[in-house]
Amino acid sequence: MRDESFTERRTIRIVVNGVEAEREVGVRKLLADFIREDLSLTGTHLGCEHGVCGACTVILDGQSVRSCLMLAVQAEGCALETVEGLASDGKLSPLQEAFREEHALQCGFCTSGFLMTARELLKDEPNPDEQQVREVISGNLCRCTGYANIVSAIMRAAATRGVK
Amino acid sequence: MAAVQIPAGTGKLVGARVRRVEDARVLLGKSQFVDDVRLPGTVSIAFVRSPYAHARILKIDTTAARANPGVLAVLTYEDLPELSRALRLEWDPAMPSAPHKLVEWPVLAHEKVRFVGEAVAAIVAEDRYLAEDAAELVEVDYDPLEAVADMERAIEPGAPLVHQEWGDNILQAAGAEFGPVASAFEAADVVISERFSTGRHAALPLEPRGCLASYEAAADLLTMWSSTQIPHILRTNLAAILGAAENRVRVIAPDVGGGFGLKAHVFPEDIVTALAARITGRPVKWIEDRRENLIASMHAKHQIVTASLALDRDGMILGLRARCLSDIGAYTEFPFSSGLEAGVAAAAMPGPYKIPAYQFEAISIATNKATVGAYRGVGMPIAVFVMERLIDIAARRLAIDPAELRMRNMIRREDHPYTNVVGFQIESGSHREALAKALEMLGYEEFRARQTALRSRGRYIGVGIASYIETTAPSTAGWMMLGMRMGGYETATVRVDRAGKVTVLVGTHSHGQSHRTTFAQIAADELGVSLDDVRIEFGDTAKVPYGWGTGGSRSAVVGGGATMKASAVMREKILRIASRATEIPTDHLELRDGAVARKSGGEAVMSLAEVARLAYLPPGGNFAGEQPGLEVAETYEPPLMTHANSTHIVTVEVDTGTGQVRLDRYIVVEDCGTMINPMVVDGQIQGGVAQGIGSAMLEQIVYDGDGQILTGTLMDYLAPTATDVPRVEIAHLESPSPYTLGGIKGMGEGGAIAPPGAIANAVADALAPLGARVDVNEIPLTPERVAATIAKTRNSK
Repeated sequence: MRDESFTERRTIRIVVNGVEAEREVGVRKLLADFIREDLSLTGTHLGCEHGVCGACTVILDGQSVRSCLMLAVQAEGCALETVEGLASDGKLSPLQEAFREEHALQCGFCTSGFLMTARELLKDEPNPDEQQVREVISGNLCRCTGYANIVSAIMRAAATRGVK
Repeated sequence: MAAVQIPAGTGKLVGARVRRVEDARVLLGKSQFVDDVRLPGTVSIAFVRSPYAHARILKIDTTAARANPGVLAVLTYEDLPELSRALRLEWDPAMPSAPHKLVEWPVLAHEKVRFVGEAVAAIVAEDRYLAEDAAELVEVDYDPLEAVADMERAIEPGAPLVHQEWGDNILQAAGAEFGPVASAFEAADVVISERFSTGRHAALPLEPRGCLASYEAAADLLTMWSSTQIPHILRTNLAAILGAAENRVRVIAPDVGGGFGLKAHVFPEDIVTALAARITGRPVKWIEDRRENLIASMHAKHQIVTASLALDRDGMILGLRARCLSDIGAYTEFPFSSGLEAGVAAAAMPGPYKIPAYQFEAISIATNKATVGAYRGVGMPIAVFVMERLIDIAARRLAIDPAELRMRNMIRREDHPYTNVVGFQIESGSHREALAKALEMLGYEEFRARQTALRSRGRYIGVGIASYIETTAPSTAGWMMLGMRMGGYETATVRVDRAGKVTVLVGTHSHGQSHRTTFAQIAADELGVSLDDVRIEFGDTAKVPYGWGTGGSRSAVVGGGATMKASAVMREKILRIASRATEIPTDHLELRDGAVARKSGGEAVMSLAEVARLAYLPPGGNFAGEQPGLEVAETYEPPLMTHANSTHIVTVEVDTGTGQVRLDRYIVVEDCGTMINPMVVDGQIQGGVAQGIGSAMLEQIVYDGDGQILTGTLMDYLAPTATDVPRVEIAHLESPSPYTLGGIKGMGEGGAIAPPGAIANAVADALAPLGARVDVNEIPLTPERVAATIAKTRNSK
């Protein structure tokens, strides 16, 4: 039968793309569902719900995480970055622009996960070689592109020093 | 309407590597996939699924589930209206295909379950967490029955029956003979006979299946947002199965996160979700998780093929025999037929080769596994795997170079239009030229020299070739030849609004294929406007003309063709109005830069907005005898089928210690006629090759002998990642179709068709020095399987 703790709710505070937010949330709610449903940031997608496909990748306190493998309450006090935070004033960031230039997306369902993974990579390693890029993004699945153009896009973004 | 002359477009955009208009909103995180659609009051549905491959259902107790918090409804078979209880596929005697058993797939299991993952009950609850809680509380008493999980066992006498009423496990047994097969084999100097088997694959779109159903009782209108490739086909079938008038069902396919054929079906869950919306009066959302996607959606391409190739001593092919056994799982894809899988494999087997005699059997066999449906290329990758392996084995036996043996047998340019052995008319192509170009890109001679040198140092590299013809964009009659009741035409509506901007509405659907860009390129060229001035709409059955969706590499040819045709008719109307207004003859006018202008670079005489003003508010009720407004709908259907062609060449190195295969270079020379946007074509090739590499080396749905599925997560079912897929070296040849508008041929499935054949040939070539017989006839070529092949080859010395 149901464990009563399932129904417990807590208030969490979290900085979302630079803006403070406070929400009451069920303790068992996944961070991914919280982002999509409670914050209405539907650019983060769920592709497997077991941490393999990487579509739900977001950045929490500077590190990429799988938002399907965390509870929302675990993000209490953290700074959360999602795909919606990459552009400024609706203008594509250099990384996003590089994805467009290189035709690095087709259906686009996996794209935000790749963008967030690449963002972390380029912050830590501004000049990655192709093998590094391939290894870092090998934790994200794309079923449309065959990856080559995603690799090119990340290399292009690195070349233009576009970490965001 | 009189025949429309379609002059070649101005050529400004068609053929150019235009950046995609789709991208910005996707990159900003503003796409709207079905799970992103939010309606107030939406509730969730979750399914209780069978843990058994084959069992009788003795009792379903839903008491505890119904009592759980947040539960609105619990549905089982008995709760469903009689008409809506099953997907029912009946054989149509008007079809040219072989007789077919009547298949009834209960949308919730009835009396029996027939595969692990079959939906048994559905829970509707306030949110998905509560729905899944309650799903765990449904108690089902099963009486397990003996299951049949192996297709060859399933056709033995005494095998358990998946459907008792069928009397056996054969959904469909087709066969045909063309030309003098027996005498061809008698006359042969060499006959190669082999057995091949392919893995069972999953299409695996990154966005799983899902839908959102909302029923407005006051208006008697059901709206379903669905992650589907075929919104109109879904609407027609929803209406029929729910007993609703079709004009009271609306399907909206919003952004769709990949389909690859999987989403070109109507599923039991679609029906149950729609019924749940009617029953509860609330919008109901179903989003499957990846486990459901892997065990309970559909699988693909699981065949065992025994085939024989007869040749003379010069390597000329005399005849071919193939027996394709296809494991279709427990039911059939709907509303088409899983018999398609074996039928397409058999029909595609001759490929780009001139084969005088051919006999095939295509047998579709039910087992207690998930149903098999469409996945990129359907049976074509299997056909190419079999044919290209046979050719390589024959080449080795005859001591003829495998590239040379292909060249000798390929259809030549001057043979077109070439009617092949099964009656397909190949209208144009560059089979030998594509092979020659690919060999040149590789540096074939240099590769052979390097191979010899490395072998002497104990390193095993190999090269594999696979050439194919991709049958694309069938007409209605073409689909019928393939055993499908499916339309081969599309309608496009072109509107020029009062400000002179263009909207095109089409019935195909884009879920990665870039139609918003490529169709806009076509319309913009025909109407002389910029890409920004054209918007492409699709996916909403309340807005766009009835269409047959996206699949079978048809959209560029048929949807693009309809766009071209309707745009051309619109152009003529605009020119007539402008001619009347300016008193300049129409044949002195053209559309250019958003205006009507004098031909040959002359000055603009009227903007499109000015033409629109006359068209929408005509002085005196009409103008120039034209109907008011600027809206044109045209339907286009290409001829029987359209054929693209390609050669893939891959080089590999095999680690004979571990069985690991490393891909080195992957070369594709393809010919899809006129390219609308080479960037998009390249993207489709690279992506298709990645899926083909998955099929060839990694991906495999595994069941145990009792029909229990062992690959229910992405840690077990391995899709290729960025470290598995090399950058494909691509070159294009263009043999426009003489029969389609613009000379366009389809190519979307192509990339995925050849990798299993090419990679298997490369591995066999690498291992050739180890023994007399290298048996690389099963995919995927996992390290274990390759290691076993190495051991077997060494023993064959």
